[in-house]
Amino acid sequence: MATAERSVVLPGETIDPSLIPSDPKKALRLGPGLRHIPPTDIVPTVAGQLVTNPVKNSMWIEYNSNRYIPSQNDIVLAQVLRSATDFYLCSLSPHTAPATLPHLAFESATKKTRPILSPGQLVYARVALANRHMDPELECVSASTGKADGLGPITGPGCAFDVSLGFARRLLMARSREDGGVGVLEMLGGEEGGGLAFETAVGRNGKVWVGSESARTVVLVGRALQETDRRGLGIEGQRRLVKKLVKEMR
Amino acid sequence: MPREAEPSLNEKQFVIQALQENLRLDGRELDQYRPLELTFGDQYGVADVTLGNTRILAKATAEVTVPYADRPLDGIFTIATELSPMTSPAFEVNRPTETEVLLSRLLEKTVRRSGALDTESLCLVAGQKCWSVRVDVHALSHDGNLTDAACLAVVAALRHFRKPDTSMEGGRLTVYTPAEREPVPLSWLHSPFCVTWSFFGDEGELAVLDATWLEEQVRVGSCTISLNKHGEICQIAKLGGTPVDAVALLQCTNVALTKVKEFSDLVDQKLAEDLKRRDKGGFMAELRAENDR
Repeated sequence: MATAERSVVLPGETIDPSLIPSDPKKALRLGPGLRHIPPTDIVPTVAGQLVTNPVKNSMWIEYNSNRYIPSQNDIVLAQVLRSATDFYLCSLSPHTAPATLPHLAFESATKKTRPILSPGQLVYARVALANRHMDPELECVSASTGKADGLGPITGPGCAFDVSLGFARRLLMARSREDGGVGVLEMLGGEEGGGLAFETAVGRNGKVWVGSESARTVVLVGRALQETDRRGLGIEGQRRLVKKLVKEMR
Repeated sequence: MPREAEPSLNEKQFVIQALQENLRLDGRELDQYRPLELTFGDQYGVADVTLGNTRILAKATAEVTVPYADRPLDGIFTIATELSPMTSPAFEVNRPTETEVLLSRLLEKTVRRSGALDTESLCLVAGQKCWSVRVDVHALSHDGNLTDAACLAVVAALRHFRKPDTSMEGGRLTVYTPAEREPVPLSWLHSPFCVTWSFFGDEGELAVLDATWLEEQVRVGSCTISLNKHGEICQIAKLGGTPVDAVALLQCTNVALTKVKEFSDLVDQKLAEDLKRRDKGGFMAELRAENDR
């Protein structure tokens, strides 16, 4: 994330024009928390940090909350509620409208080979469609390549943990340690954690699935994530936490 | 009516699998409570209990009323529980759920029916005037084990409560304000506490104390034991669920006794601290003419 400016804004505030990126060739892209009121006003709708990216000519607001609002291309951890005629109804969070996941939106799925999901199962999926007045739609396959790219039903031993939305976003950053200030997963897998073997699937809807053969590892990683989120620990605090937890669980 | 969101299959399976390896999601022992905190309000009779993420507020009040016709020598003592939509969207106002009914019933059985409060001492004029003591229990946050937290809050609130002092002179009843006479504590006989065991596994062979909300959604049965620190059992409620071995239940009762002793010590200690905080130095300090400023 190439960030030039960071400043805190409140809903309805006027944004300083010098902060708005102005690339003559590309159109300005507005992300979450900003609204365009024609003809020329850009107004924040939430309180948070205004982040701009001059390279992509985009701006958005980084904020933490517990209520998930689906938006297109988000990677989420959905829970199957039930199966309908040609789609599954999935829950992204208890407060959002159920999302639909078509039976054929899996890698190389046909009517005969589609995966059968039981109610309550977790699915790692992408939000394909999110409009304000429609139920969101999910997919487990990239529409352009036809590949799953790691999406699909989650199987194997493991457990899902709830975290705040801001923490989930920070975990999903390409350089989460530098930009997001979250190094807890690296530490658990590295020398501080004694090289624990586990895998994770982070959903933007504030759910993290941790999988491992050993239940002890899953509990340890889950606790480390939740504690980091709840106490808002920095890198040094996370290192201390990981050391403490590893010692405790031995 | 909105329904509580169910945990996913992964979570359900993992909770059980971890418990079979003596592991809990928050790293506790199977018979360990979450950190328990008890604070009292500025008013008499307000107790706030926090058990992990579960939070209960209990408030005791008293007013003078007419006693029931069939019990002219007894005062009135009621416990009112309310689970508001603030706790969870599955709870609605004026439509008690099963959880709420069971909770209020358990509190009744534990505190009222065990005779913890001497209701005869609430009588002022036989058949005409008596105190009506009421405890309101509010669940502010629900993360499992409401019963134990609510029971502790009710007992702490009642023991902290002071009712206005009264006197009878020539058939005339006088109720004094706190400024005129120091309010008096209730006549409290013993302190019962609830300890809830949750059972897991096919035959309920795994017994776990202080289940979180996720664990409560997965358990196959539960048993609430109410007793005081002398080991006198007030009630045992095992409402449905998988049958549990009798010997295991005996073992549960023994562990419950040690927990109740801890609760009892905690309430005693917090009450003593609160008394110390309110005590500004006794009678001499009150008579002092010196100004603090």
